Amino acid sequence: MKKVNNPLNEKEFKALISKRKDNLFYLIILIFMTFFLFFSLSQMNINPARVIRGFSTLSDLIKNMFPPDFGQLSRLWPLAIESIQIAILGTVLGIIFSITLSMFAAKNLTPIPGLGVVLKGFFAFTRAVPALVWALLFITAVGLGTLPGILALGVNSIGMLGKVFSESFENINKATIEGLNSTGASRMQVFFQGVVPETIPIILSWSLFRFDINIRYSSILGVVGAGGIGWELVRASRMRDYPALLMVILVILVMVYAVEQFTGYARRVVR
Amino acid sequence: MDRNMENNLAQLKKSRRPGQLRLLFAIILVIVAVIWSWAGTGFSIPAIMRGVPRIYNFIIDDLIPPRFDSWQKFLNPTLQTLYMAYVGAIFAIILSLGLGIISANNLISNRLIVYLGRGISSFLRAVPAVAWAVILVAAVGLGPFAGTIAIALGGAGMLGKTYADSLEEIDMGQVEALKAVGASWFQVLTQAVLPQFLPDFFTWSFYRFDLNIRSAAVVGLVGAGGLGFSLDTAIRLFQFREATMGILWIFGLILIVEFITAKSRDKILEGL
Repeated sequence: MKKVNNPLNEKEFKALISKRKDNLFYLIILIFMTFFLFFSLSQMNINPARVIRGFSTLSDLIKNMFPPDFGQLSRLWPLAIESIQIAILGTVLGIIFSITLSMFAAKNLTPIPGLGVVLKGFFAFTRAVPALVWALLFITAVGLGTLPGILALGVNSIGMLGKVFSESFENINKATIEGLNSTGASRMQVFFQGVVPETIPIILSWSLFRFDINIRYSSILGVVGAGGIGWELVRASRMRDYPALLMVILVILVMVYAVEQFTGYARRVVR
Repeated sequence: MDRNMENNLAQLKKSRRPGQLRLLFAIILVIVAVIWSWAGTGFSIPAIMRGVPRIYNFIIDDLIPPRFDSWQKFLNPTLQTLYMAYVGAIFAIILSLGLGIISANNLISNRLIVYLGRGISSFLRAVPAVAWAVILVAAVGLGPFAGTIAIALGGAGMLGKTYADSLEEIDMGQVEALKAVGASWFQVLTQAVLPQFLPDFFTWSFYRFDLNIRSAAVVGLVGAGGLGFSLDTAIRLFQFREATMGILWIFGLILIVEFITAKSRDKILEGL
């Protein structure tokens, strides 16, 4: 390439070409996304007429919801409390198991090298299968009630917390472990004296975050029969008792909001 | 000991003590909460002990191995789950762009509108997607239409807030500069606000699509279509090995979608 006759130098020229290629790339993506949107809509039989009809039935339903049935409150309140309790136990169960398993999953702490990979696969699986599906499986295994709900939240939490905790264990300062090892500390001593103090802020903030998530899940676990307030949603909608349905939603809102305020406060204190 | 050092030490001790006290308080709080929940839910060690062998037997006898020959049954529900998540994400993004702009206090000077926008997103966010699905199934009937709208509403709650938060963080210097040369509100939005907002926009939108796949996989449990519906049917008919196959589909779908969104997000963010 003759640089003298070229108003752009080689670098600028290449940048311009690649920019043009990028624009083409974005255009293709955009066209593909639009096409896929309309394809998906047609596959699900969603069309403008149906959307308009849907909104009119929805607005009728919302009109029928008012005023909310406050008479239900005395019955719903204990169920909301039960949901909170399920979330607490599920979260605690998840934290205990994920810390324990992370000791074996973290590359720098595990006694058996291959175990880390297996456990991380296990974390990925328990994380990817949604909490409600876990609840459905545990109900089949141990029957209806709060126990399957607690177990479902616990298992689902292990997937997320196990991943985060084992990664944070892997990122700790090498010198800490080596120093403790050189003094002849046992595996447990290394863990509790070296690893835990360094990672405790991460453990606490993620545990609180997970509690926030678990409260949302526990409010709906009941739709499959795993305890708490969720079943009331299904019951009210099946009986077409829409004022009660709105009341259930209001109770869930207050519950989620109150817990969020609490964890927000706790997070500030931890920090 | 040097006087200065003594002072420092005293200060250090003082500053440590409230921390330890707080920690003790937090530990007591957690223990009390656990005991309270333990009593309230009737959770018991014997029940767990009885449960563990049952779970073990259920997994060994009923769930494993998956019925691989039933894989075709879940093909259409899996695609439907993908459609719901995708259309739900697009609807949510469109809704949230409006919601995000009116909730950003640096773009809208009217306090009332900002509070209203924030209030709407926080309401949409606090109601779980499955609860939205219950309402929408009651309103528009069973099927993926209800699921799609439920996912869109739940997503709009989250994106409305995150969009507004990132819009509020943009550098207002550029906005002021454009205003100074007489640009219209719309011109300011597209020329000064949008370029700064795009990286966050893509990050959050892709993240939401990831979350939507999870929601779309479960809204079927209340009749709103997709994998959840087939999974529920299989379990109700005691076809547990088919259910395992369905769970593997969910797992596979989530892994693939997460991989693709991560790749395309990085590719797009690179180009910005």
